[in-house]
Amino acid sequence: MAYAYLFKYIIIGDTGVGKSCLLLQFTDKRFQPVHDLTIGVEFGARMITIDGKQIKLQIWDTAGQESFRSITRSYYRGAAGALLVYDITRRDTFNHLTTWLEDARQHSNSNMVIMLIANKSDLESRREVKKEEGEAFAREHGLIFMETSAKTASNVEEAFINTAKEIYEKIQEGVFDINNEANGIKIGPQHSTPGSPGSHMGGQQAGGGCC
Amino acid sequence: MFGRSRSWVSVSGRSGSNVHSLDRLKYMYHVLTKNTTVTDQNRNLLVETIRSITEILIWGDQNDSSVFDFFLEKNMFVFFLNILRQKSGRYVCGQLLQTLNMLFENINHETSLYYLLSNNHVNSIIVHKFDFSDEEIMGYYICFLKTLSVKLNSHTVHFFYNEHTNDFALYTEAIKFFNHPEHMVRVAVRNITLNIYKVNNQPMLHYIRDKTAVPYFSNLVWFIGIHVIELDKCVQTDEEHKNRGTLSNLVSQHLDHLNYLNDILIIDCEFLNDVLTDHLLNRLLLPLYVFSLVNQDKPSERPRISPQVALYLLSQVFLTIHYAPLVNSLADVILNGDLSMFSSKAEHDVQQGSADYSIRCFTKPHETLEKSLELNRQRGRKKHQKRPNYKNVGEEEEDEKPSEDIQEDIDKGKVAENTSKFAKGSGDTEEIEMVIMERSKAAEKSSVIKEENTTDEEKSEAAAGVHSSQNRPFLDMVYSTLECTEDDYYTLFVLCLLYAMSHNNGIDPSKLERIHLCLRPAKEANTYNHVLVERLIRIMNNSANLESKVRLATLELACILLKQLVLFEADCIIKDIHLACLEGAREESVHLLRHFYKGEEIFLDMFEDEYRSMASKPLNVEYLMMDESILLPPTGTPLTGIDFVKRLPCGDVERTRRAIRVFFMLRALSLNLRKEPETQLPLTREEDLIKTDDVLDLNNSDLIACTVITKVGDQVQRFLAVDIYQMSLVEPDSKRLGWGVVKFAGLLQDMQVTGVEDDSRALNITIHKPASTPHSKPFPILQATFIFSDHIRCIIAKQRLAKGRIQARRMKMQRISALLDLPVQPSKEVVGFGHSSTSSTQHLPFRFYEQPRRVGSDLTVQNSVFASVDKVPGFAVAQCINQHSVSPASSPSPPSSSSSSGSTGPCDSVTTSVTSTPSTIQSPSDDSSIMDQPSVYSQIETTEDNLSFPTWSRKSSLRKLDSEITNLAPSLTPAPQPTISLISDDNTDSLSVESLTLVPPIDPCSIHSFSFILESPLKSDLQKCENAKFCVTESADGNTKQ
Repeated sequence: MAYAYLFKYIIIGDTGVGKSCLLLQFTDKRFQPVHDLTIGVEFGARMITIDGKQIKLQIWDTAGQESFRSITRSYYRGAAGALLVYDITRRDTFNHLTTWLEDARQHSNSNMVIMLIANKSDLESRREVKKEEGEAFAREHGLIFMETSAKTASNVEEAFINTAKEIYEKIQEGVFDINNEANGIKIGPQHSTPGSPGSHMGGQQAGGGCC
Repeated sequence: MFGRSRSWVSVSGRSGSNVHSLDRLKYMYHVLTKNTTVTDQNRNLLVETIRSITEILIWGDQNDSSVFDFFLEKNMFVFFLNILRQKSGRYVCGQLLQTLNMLFENINHETSLYYLLSNNHVNSIIVHKFDFSDEEIMGYYICFLKTLSVKLNSHTVHFFYNEHTNDFALYTEAIKFFNHPEHMVRVAVRNITLNIYKVNNQPMLHYIRDKTAVPYFSNLVWFIGIHVIELDKCVQTDEEHKNRGTLSNLVSQHLDHLNYLNDILIIDCEFLNDVLTDHLLNRLLLPLYVFSLVNQDKPSERPRISPQVALYLLSQVFLTIHYAPLVNSLADVILNGDLSMFSSKAEHDVQQGSADYSIRCFTKPHETLEKSLELNRQRGRKKHQKRPNYKNVGEEEEDEKPSEDIQEDIDKGKVAENTSKFAKGSGDTEEIEMVIMERSKAAEKSSVIKEENTTDEEKSEAAAGVHSSQNRPFLDMVYSTLECTEDDYYTLFVLCLLYAMSHNNGIDPSKLERIHLCLRPAKEANTYNHVLVERLIRIMNNSANLESKVRLATLELACILLKQLVLFEADCIIKDIHLACLEGAREESVHLLRHFYKGEEIFLDMFEDEYRSMASKPLNVEYLMMDESILLPPTGTPLTGIDFVKRLPCGDVERTRRAIRVFFMLRALSLNLRKEPETQLPLTREEDLIKTDDVLDLNNSDLIACTVITKVGDQVQRFLAVDIYQMSLVEPDSKRLGWGVVKFAGLLQDMQVTGVEDDSRALNITIHKPASTPHSKPFPILQATFIFSDHIRCIIAKQRLAKGRIQARRMKMQRISALLDLPVQPSKEVVGFGHSSTSSTQHLPFRFYEQPRRVGSDLTVQNSVFASVDKVPGFAVAQCINQHSVSPASSPSPPSSSSSSGSTGPCDSVTTSVTSTPSTIQSPSDDSSIMDQPSVYSQIETTEDNLSFPTWSRKSSLRKLDSEITNLAPSLTPAPQPTISLISDDNTDSLSVESLTLVPPIDPCSIHSFSFILESPLKSDLQKCENAKFCVTESADGNTKQ
């Protein structure tokens, strides 16, 4: 599938906040959330349309790097967008946001768009972190904020797409140096190669999800 | 619900457990057996089948173990492999990889995991040649490997590493992608290798070291080196900072590599570290980085990088890597080594007959990684192991160096002893020379002599250079580069390098002690590195010059280093002479700042803002060295986007900011070295401020009741109180009469007050908190409408706030001038202020309460503490100012009243002045204006003049008071409030309000109507004016005069 741009995302946050589930929810419509099945994936891609342009989002979960500083910083650096996720039913995951954000700001390129995601909004009864707290944190640190649920798929689309929109706007404004691949943005191949079997999957998944 | 469950009969629908069941898996198995060959017709079906199997398996792992039994029993993995190996199977590859990813990511039960890993199927998949040109396939594949590596531990390692066949596909396949063009893939590869190294399994680690370490590490080091050379080229060919984007990328990549190497070293796997250290030191750090420090002019066969890049990279190495064997050897070479190590040493090694890997040279590995790995595989286990060889190389060096260096060290030791004696003996004579730092070239000469034991003073610098180049050329280069004559381009790097070395835990302190760079004090800590200290002080001196080329980061780092050199826990061992020089530098910085000091209000904001940002963001050398911008020659323009501290100032405002910061830094340093506490800065200290929930004694304080309506609509009853620096909203304390609990406190100086359009009893008050991070938007801590019981209270409140704001600001300005040793003179600005403030205490019914009386630990003292004012910093100053300014204020009449008496002439002159534009009016009044908004003020004066019709002159005393009030008011009206026009016929009350709050007559209509009034002075109108006037005095004075 030909695309105008490819944006690389990373998902960060404490373990168990549902990063890989969010990722799967967004990238593969074929896996529908079911109550007795928790399923996630560490890599995925999906095509979306912004402003009439095909944009491919490639999302990397950063799990498994926790003990290695070098890996953390490298992941940050290669991404154009980051979803910083916490779990509304676990206060500690919210408390760790500052550390995550500090890390992200330090290691990422300064234009990286960071979205704060309060996940598991379906578990209202076990909520420990108020929505207002998340909003306040986001406001104070200049992040976009959204409450999502990977379980019910609520707001998952919006979270990824809004981030993409912001990146796209930054590109339009000329803030991002798109020729520098380290920014996590790639310009699509000039000549699309339809029918290449390898690209089949992306296409198929995108079919379900295009907004 | 029914509709749904019905729909699953058609393939797509799925709901509930029907989809996830053993039966369903059996059905899927059936599909697989029917479609063993992939065709165009069945491939979509196969993809969906595999996808469903994935779901069922994960569901089974979480809910029903029989699912996995079935999967294993039927050996369903084989179907996957079978599909994979078919030519047309490529189509299904993506799905298979996703499935594998999901399985290994989501399977939690160990038994399930073992099932999946058994039979070597996974290894067959790992070595399968997928179509890696496809981004998605590549992504899934590398993530698959990464997931597997996460699952690796001493139990599972046997599924991957086969001791007998010497196969470790997971590792060898992964490292083949170590220089893949896609960044994320490279990161994943590094992640995988680290996960593997972390597993403590001896046979596996032996395999890695014997079979893969040399090829992998030599290629890795070469790859890094290539990057470095590219980076250097980028620096050298840069014009106008155009290469910055590329450079940023290269620097980050280099840092990624360094951090990766450090992560390997941290795992502390001894065999690996030996090989890695050897390669890193002898193939990259020494031959490329260190070698490039000297002899730049001599042509050489060897590849080189420019010295600034070399210094930068070396600092990064010391900042990042703390592995003792590596950093010790490297530090040793820089501090003690000479060039011989690049020639004789190499020969030496060759003579020893060791492998050519040990030659200190930056060269390309013989073969590519892939080829080496292939060859190693073929050689098999029987072949002679290289291991002892590498080991020996490492050891041999460790052994060699001391034996060679010992002699040198002894010699140096003697020299050092001699010199230290010499230094002590001749100390007195030197000190005289060193007093004046500007002429300290001479001093430097003598210190160079001390160090190098050279006698020829005439050509000491050059001679020393020549002499020492045989001895310690690298250290010498470091010292000589500290000199910042032109600019501080190199100086910053050297400071960073010294900082990094001194903060490196891995370096043996005794090595650093030789140059007195040790963080921990030497046994008898009374000596320090004079050369270094003097050069540091010179940098400070230099930075306090008006045209200085020293960047703030350089200065800050110099300060840090100096403190580190002479300050040990309790002791400061700096010599008086050096301290005196430093004080000189501090003096200079005061002079420099005085040059920029202006009475402008903005100066205060800048002053406080700079302090805040300095305090909140102290220099982090590590972060500094991540910034590529310092690799390019220092520039001044902010258009580059370079952080302020890392470039030179541009324009007057930035020069002021710079001067402020230089002042702060040198002041802090000087206080620090003299062991004096900071008592003046910051101007506002958190602990002196009233905080929420403080309980204050408000007896005798002025309180205004009001209703506070916040933006969200909350409504509360509060009392407004104004303190020296703050306004606070209190509610009565239930326990004690006359005391109040603070519910909100905000700084007056950050406050904005505006009137409300249609309510004369209300004020809009906003207080912004200065932004803490550059990312956050300024965020108001208070944004509310205050409603008072009547418009009089409203005016009083408005005035009090305005006055408080001015007073708070003025007080701080006074303290700044005190800090700058400027005489706290009763300048005319101060006169105006002092005048109004004294008169205010006389005439106006409000008074600042001197001290926030809090209920703290000692309640008894609190009650009697009313008079003790010195607890608030600056209050004492403010007090004496007040006293000071009383006398001049009382004798001459204030400027406004004198001007008004002059202009009480003919009507037409008044009219012209009214109709003329504010800018023309401004000039005469500007001089006497002390307000932050002079234009507003001048307009006010004009309106004042208009009002001072001859008939008014009799009330001169009142007039005087009026002018005082007007003097205060302008800061209240930061924004135009055009809604209430100056002349409003229907509401005399609002007129009186406005003549007090002084709305500038921006509304042209009001001006017109005004001139109209003057031309045809209707009695009633005039009367109205007069009434208004009286109203004002009445409300302000509290006396009934009508």
